[in-house]
Amino acid sequence: MVNQETVQDALRVVIDPDLRRDIVSLGFVQNLKVHADRVAFTLKLTTPACPVKDELRKQAEDAVRSIPGVEAVEVDMTAEVRPNPGAIGRAMLPGVKNIIPVASGKGGVGKSTVSANLAVALRQAGADVGLLDADVYGPSIPMIMGATERPMPSGGKIQPVVCHGVPVISSGFFVQPGQAVVWRGPMLAKMVEQLLAGVNWGELDYLVIDLPPGTGDVQLTLCQRIPLTGAVIVTTPQPVAVNIAEKAVAMFNQLKTPVLGVVENMSYWESSKTGEREFIFGAGGADRISLKWDFPVLGKVPLATTVRETSDGGRPIVLDEPESPAAVAFTECAQNLAAQVSIHNLKSETDDLVKITF
Amino acid sequence: MRAPEPPRPIEIGRANEHDVKIRWKDGAEAVYPARLLRLECPCANCVDELTGRKLIQEGVIAEDVHPAGIDPVGRYAIQIYWSDGHQTGIYTWERLYDLMRKL
Repeated sequence: MVNQETVQDALRVVIDPDLRRDIVSLGFVQNLKVHADRVAFTLKLTTPACPVKDELRKQAEDAVRSIPGVEAVEVDMTAEVRPNPGAIGRAMLPGVKNIIPVASGKGGVGKSTVSANLAVALRQAGADVGLLDADVYGPSIPMIMGATERPMPSGGKIQPVVCHGVPVISSGFFVQPGQAVVWRGPMLAKMVEQLLAGVNWGELDYLVIDLPPGTGDVQLTLCQRIPLTGAVIVTTPQPVAVNIAEKAVAMFNQLKTPVLGVVENMSYWESSKTGEREFIFGAGGADRISLKWDFPVLGKVPLATTVRETSDGGRPIVLDEPESPAAVAFTECAQNLAAQVSIHNLKSETDDLVKITF
Repeated sequence: MRAPEPPRPIEIGRANEHDVKIRWKDGAEAVYPARLLRLECPCANCVDELTGRKLIQEGVIAEDVHPAGIDPVGRYAIQIYWSDGHQTGIYTWERLYDLMRKL
């Protein structure tokens, strides 16, 4: 006789490889219905960008099908991103579940291109994603995302410009073309606060923040004012970039902000004719810091003319050429990032958070 | 190289009307007398940034100085709003943990 309990017990053998717990105790199995020999349930994952979504579905189906007496299994897939439990300062961005700064240390490693493609790839997976360009010195997100409109005020706040389904705000929207931002620290802090709290971000699963290079005022303000789920580090394989990226890692460590992983950009160049790979900037940079600082490599993105062209053209490569090696790599980075967010949130749920009662 | 497990407080509250009590994740627990905390303020007005020499003048700090409020700073520190109006010091978990040895 098949009942709810036998089905749940069977499903307990299915382990989420990222969260390392079974899908029943994680609360993924919902709406479980048993009608004689027919079983139906919903698998509610912690992110629509789950890299092992299909695998989990198949394993769950197989597990239930192997119960004697079960004839048909119907699995419905859904996802709800869990919020980062660090409630400190939540009032500033009440609808945003996870805030993810993208940092590089060194400039020119393609941080903005990575940020834009991560945001669009997460959006394509079905998540609600926002993109904040906090690179006050060289705001390039409006161009990369193809923002042609300016943000409009609405209800005392600023309404972001929606590009490819992603609400976007850039410091560049508020500076006249041809003008530069030449500001001291306190003004930068003020601007960052405005871009966060002064904007109608709405309900977001992920807010990706493109940081300026370095370890300065913008980074410090972010880490102090809002609870960040964790940072993404972008580097090229070459030692001069990796060494400076490590300074960004050290900064996040000092500010107790987790690093979710590293993206190696401009990792290699692949000849479309021979398929041969050339390691223009060397190799192994991301692997080296990943090992040294104990966080994963989210992915390695090859150099490609199309990445540059799509970025300059305002349509990140994951939109129009999803099959290209670079777009596949970006999508993999986004999935691995989403998995890391789930892992960190689950971990901090079980960690004790400081309670201040003074 | 894995960063060593840093100290982390679980609860920061009152020991009495003025003094601060901190309970740490590793089980340690300590009462920080309010005036001692004020004298240990790490801000650039109270400590010379380059030499680490104390600039704060003990004599001018009121005997009954006490926190009027405490706010979290990111994931790594607290900011204390003092009864004498001072509020620029950011007390990191490491600093507060090390301070236990002075109590």
